[in-house]
Amino acid sequence: MNRTWAFTSRNIKELLRDPLGYIFCVGFPLIMLIIMTVVDQSIPKETVKTFHIENLAPGVAVFGQMFIMLFTALNISTDRSGTFLMRLYATPMTAGDLTAGYIIPMLIVSVVQSIITFAAAFIISVIIGNTLNVLGVLLCMLLLIPSALMFIGFGLIFGVLFNEKSAPGLCSIIISLGGFFGGIWFDAQSTGGIMLKLCKCMPFFYCTKSARSAVVLDFSGEGFLLPLLIVVVCAVILTALGCFTFSKKMRADLG
Amino acid sequence: MLAVETKGLTKQYKDLTAVDSLDLSIEQGELFSLLGVNGAGKTTTVRMLCCLSQATSGEAFVMGNSCDKDKSAVKSIIGISPQDTAVAERLTVEENLIFMCRIYGFDKQKCEQRTGELIRIFGMQNVKNKRAKTLSGGWKRKLSIAMALIGEPKVLFLDEPTLGLDVLARRELWRAIESLKGKMTIILTTHYMEEAEQLSDRIAIMIEGRLASLGTLSQIEKQAGVQGLENAFVAIAERGAEK
Repeated sequence: MNRTWAFTSRNIKELLRDPLGYIFCVGFPLIMLIIMTVVDQSIPKETVKTFHIENLAPGVAVFGQMFIMLFTALNISTDRSGTFLMRLYATPMTAGDLTAGYIIPMLIVSVVQSIITFAAAFIISVIIGNTLNVLGVLLCMLLLIPSALMFIGFGLIFGVLFNEKSAPGLCSIIISLGGFFGGIWFDAQSTGGIMLKLCKCMPFFYCTKSARSAVVLDFSGEGFLLPLLIVVVCAVILTALGCFTFSKKMRADLG
Repeated sequence: MLAVETKGLTKQYKDLTAVDSLDLSIEQGELFSLLGVNGAGKTTTVRMLCCLSQATSGEAFVMGNSCDKDKSAVKSIIGISPQDTAVAERLTVEENLIFMCRIYGFDKQKCEQRTGELIRIFGMQNVKNKRAKTLSGGWKRKLSIAMALIGEPKVLFLDEPTLGLDVLARRELWRAIESLKGKMTIILTTHYMEEAEQLSDRIAIMIEGRLASLGTLSQIEKQAGVQGLENAFVAIAERGAEK
């Protein structure tokens, strides 16, 4: 356990000392939150509900988590590209210590990220006179943990399978797909037809849906429970797959 | 007990034999150099001895522990400074050392004592609060070796420790390595002849994965029939290539 915490602490420090981490994990989501609020205030109220603060804030929180995936992949692929991991392989550290040491800091960063996003969203909601439900916000932050794990799982897989040049590119594709099919920037539910079917095939759609339902305290089966269950299952599968891929790669490296 | 022993150690990658039936016996406290051109099998040998690569056949023992069957025992008594400077770039010199202390499970007091000791030994007092990525190549190598020494290893592996360093940084690192002589067994891989000549008790010359010559500098010179390690190495390497 001590070894896991030592590696966790190292990874947190590395992340906190990377200016790009602040720009992508905090700055960019906040900018999107402000820009989309301005857009929402500039168009007729009933035209696009996606940009209303109670829909926008959870959407942006999920969007921000996608950058956690990018940094997980970047962190692992960079460590793999040099001999730093090789040095650690020659110490008593196990694959479990290493994977936990990559996952835990990212999970902590994602929780801090959602606190910052929702704090900013709350301030905005007070300014525009549409105050967010505090209980809903707290519940949403809690329910964002499984989706954070899901994105970390993606990052773990990409970081292990691809090098530090390819992994960020692949993550950018997932971020674009996630933003689009997750219904973050438009109301996917109202599209219908093939578009809605495609959105429903992607886990991102359920991340956004469960987060939005949590903020407005909508606990209906279709709006909240089912999407949440799908997100939890995807998080478990992707995290397990990420850990398995890492162990397998470590065994191959030591072959 | 021998510090390192290999019996018919072989590593095969598909159609390439990187290390071919290597038999080595290295005494405790010895500074032993593995010399060879690129691709001679030096790093592969070190990797197998550090449990970072599985031997295709043969056996390797570090302080009597099998590198195949008793990996955790081997890992707890070795230290490795890989070819690249394997340091955490955004951590300071001190943080890198503390990180390694924690990996080896040292308590706070032991961490402070060991970190302070290594900073002093390698003269890193003035750079201890600098982030690794801002250090020069020479300082990074020193840090890398200090990190390998944190766990108080009985056997230290230095894989081409002075590769790419300027002459002053190289000489300074030699002095640091020399100061460790006798305190532990050191296995050094290099393709700098003067480095092996200056530092080693015994030298092994590897050619295409095989052990072409083994002994002290004078024994190798005698075997090759020429003076100087560089001339001896060239003579042995050319003979090996002819075979």
